[in-house]
Amino acid sequence: MSAAARALGLPVAAAVLVAGVIGVQLAGGGGSFEPLRTVDPCVERTVTSRSDGIEGLTERLVLLGVDGAACRLSVSREALTLELGQGGERSDAEIEALRDGLRDAVRRLDEEGTLPPASELVGEALDSADLNRFLKAAIRALPDSVVNAALKTDDVLLRTVDDLDLRELLGNLEDQGDLNAQLETAVTQAVKDSLADRVRDLV
Amino acid sequence: MRRAVAPLLAVTVALVLADSAVVTLALPDILVHLDATVGQVAWVLISFNLVLGLGAVPTAMAAARARPQVLGAVGIAVFAAASAWCAVAGSIDVLIAARCIQAVGGALALVGCLELLVAKWGERRGVAAWVTAGVIGTAAGPVAGGLLTQAISWQAIFVVQVPFAVLAVPAALAVAAVPEQEPDRHRPALRPNLTLALLSAALTAALFLLVLLLVQGWRHSPATAALTVSVVPIAALAAGPLARLLRTPPQVEVGVGCFLVAGGLVALAIPPSSHLAWTVAPQALVGLGLGLTVDRLTAQAMELRLPRARHAGWTIGARHVGVVVGLAILTPVFTADLQDAQEPAEQAITALVIDAPLRAEDKIAVARALGDELADQQGQVPDLHPAFASLDLAASEQPAAEQLERDLDEQLERAATRAFRDSFLIGAGLALLALLTVVLGAVRPRSRETA
Repeated sequence: MSAAARALGLPVAAAVLVAGVIGVQLAGGGGSFEPLRTVDPCVERTVTSRSDGIEGLTERLVLLGVDGAACRLSVSREALTLELGQGGERSDAEIEALRDGLRDAVRRLDEEGTLPPASELVGEALDSADLNRFLKAAIRALPDSVVNAALKTDDVLLRTVDDLDLRELLGNLEDQGDLNAQLETAVTQAVKDSLADRVRDLV
Repeated sequence: MRRAVAPLLAVTVALVLADSAVVTLALPDILVHLDATVGQVAWVLISFNLVLGLGAVPTAMAAARARPQVLGAVGIAVFAAASAWCAVAGSIDVLIAARCIQAVGGALALVGCLELLVAKWGERRGVAAWVTAGVIGTAAGPVAGGLLTQAISWQAIFVVQVPFAVLAVPAALAVAAVPEQEPDRHRPALRPNLTLALLSAALTAALFLLVLLLVQGWRHSPATAALTVSVVPIAALAAGPLARLLRTPPQVEVGVGCFLVAGGLVALAIPPSSHLAWTVAPQALVGLGLGLTVDRLTAQAMELRLPRARHAGWTIGARHVGVVVGLAILTPVFTADLQDAQEPAEQAITALVIDAPLRAEDKIAVARALGDELADQQGQVPDLHPAFASLDLAASEQPAAEQLERDLDEQLERAATRAFRDSFLIGAGLALLALLTVVLGAVRPRSRETA
C-alpha cells in the first residue's frame, strides 16, 4: 500500500462512516424528536367528546371556549389550561376572554347544527334538578315539540355563560360538587329567564 | 506469583482510571441513599478527577526521590483504603472526602505502576501496557459501575476494587530491579497534552451525559444503560487492530479519531427516537475515536521524554483536568436545558390529556393525578406511572388510558432528548477543537520546512 493510500484510507473510511451514521439518524427523523408543538388556538379545530348528553356538550363547549380565550389572550390553549388549573386570582382580561370564548363556542356549535335540541337535555337536567317531583313528572310528560318550542338550546347556553360567575367557578375547580352546584344554578336560572322571555314575547 | 505481578499492576492502572467515570451510573442511587443534592452528587465525580488531574504532576515530581516499589505499594494501599472508606461513607461529604483521598492514592499508584511495568516488561512494552490499561479502564468504567450498581449496590463499585488492590500491593513490592530515575531533561509535550485535554472534555459528553440520558431521561435501569454503553469500550478495542491493518500514520490516526468522536457526538445529539438501537452506531464512532486517539496521544506525550513518570503525570493531568473542564462546561448547559424543557413538556402533556379519547371526568382525574405526581417529582424527569396506577377507571377506558400513558412517556423522552442536544453538540465542538490542534500541529512543521 502506498504512503498516500495509507494516509487517505482511514480518513476516507471515517468520513463515510460519520456521514452514513448522521445521514441514517437524520433520515429516521433525527433532529425532530422533540416535544409536541402547541397548535395555534386561533385556527378552528374540530372537537369531539366520548361523553354523551350534557357532559359531552359541556366538554365540547369548554374545549372550544378555552381555544377562543387563548386566541384572545395570545397564548396557547395548553398554557392557558395550565394557568387556570393552578388556581389563584384570575385577571379581568382572562375572565372576559373565557366568557367571550364560551359564547363563540355556543354560536359555532349552533351554526354547525351540532347543538342538541332542548328536549334531549331536559330529561338529564331534571334528574339532578332540585325540583318538586310532581313538577318533574309534569315536565317529563310534555311532548318534545313543546319543550323545543319553549326552549332554544343556544339561548339557554348563552344565558348560562352570561350568568356564570367564572371567577368563583375557576376558584372551585378542585371541588367537583361545588362546581356542579354552580353550573346547575346557572343553568336553572338560564332556563327560567329563557322561559320568561318566551312568555313575554307571546304576551 | 511472578507472572501475575505485571498483569496485577496493569489491572490497578485500569482500576484507578476507571474510577474517573465508574460512579456515573451510580449517581442517582447515591443521591437518594445519602440524601444529597444534584450539585453535591456531581462532586463525587468532579472531586476525583480534579484531585487526580491537579495532583498527578506534583506526585510524579515528588516520586523522583522515592523507590517506585514503595511509591506504588503505598499508593495502591491508600487507594484501596480510600475505596473501602467510600463504600462505608454515611454522608455525601464523607464520600467526597474519601474520593479525594482515593485520587491521591490513585496518582501515586499510577506513577509507581508505570515505573514498575517498565521494570518488568521493558520501556516499550511497559509504557504500552500502562497506556492501554488506562484506555480500557476509562472506557469500561461506566459499564462496570452500572452493572455492579444494578446487581448489588453502588457501594459494591468500591468494595470490588479492594481485593485487586490488596493483591497489587505485594505485587508492587515484589518487583526487583527498577531502572534508575532519569534527570529532568525534556519539557512537557504541549500539543499532545492539549489535544488529550480537549478530547477528554469531549468524551465526557459521551461517557457521562449519555448514561444520564439513558437512566434519567429515558428511564432505563443502570444495568441496561451499562450494557448499552459497553459499545464504547468494545469499539475502542476494535480500533487498534483496524488502524494496524491500514497502517495509517500516527498523526492521521489521531486526527481521524477526533473526527470520529465529533461525528459520534453529533449523531448522539439527533436520535430519531428513544430506542436504544439509535445510540449504538454513534457510540461505535465515539469508541473507535477513543481507541485511535487516547493511547496514541498519551504515547506521543511520553515518547522519548524523560523523566518518564513526570511526562506520564502530565498526560494524567491533561486527561482529568479535561474531564473536569468538560463537566464544568456541559453540566450547567444541560441543567439549564433540562429546566427549559419543562415548559414545552408540560404543554405537550396538557395537549395530549385534553385531546385524549377519554370521558371528560376521567380526563379531569388523570390531570389531577398527574398534577400531584409532577409536584412530588420536581427537579427530575418525572415517572408518570404512579399517577396512572392511582386511577380508578372503568375497564372500557383502560386501553385509552394506557395509550395516553405511553404517549406522555414519549413526550417526556422527547423533552429530555432535546435537552441533551446542545450538550452533545458542545462535546462535538470540543472534539473538533482537538482535531484543530492536530491539524495545526501537522501544518506548522511543514511551514517551518518550507521556510
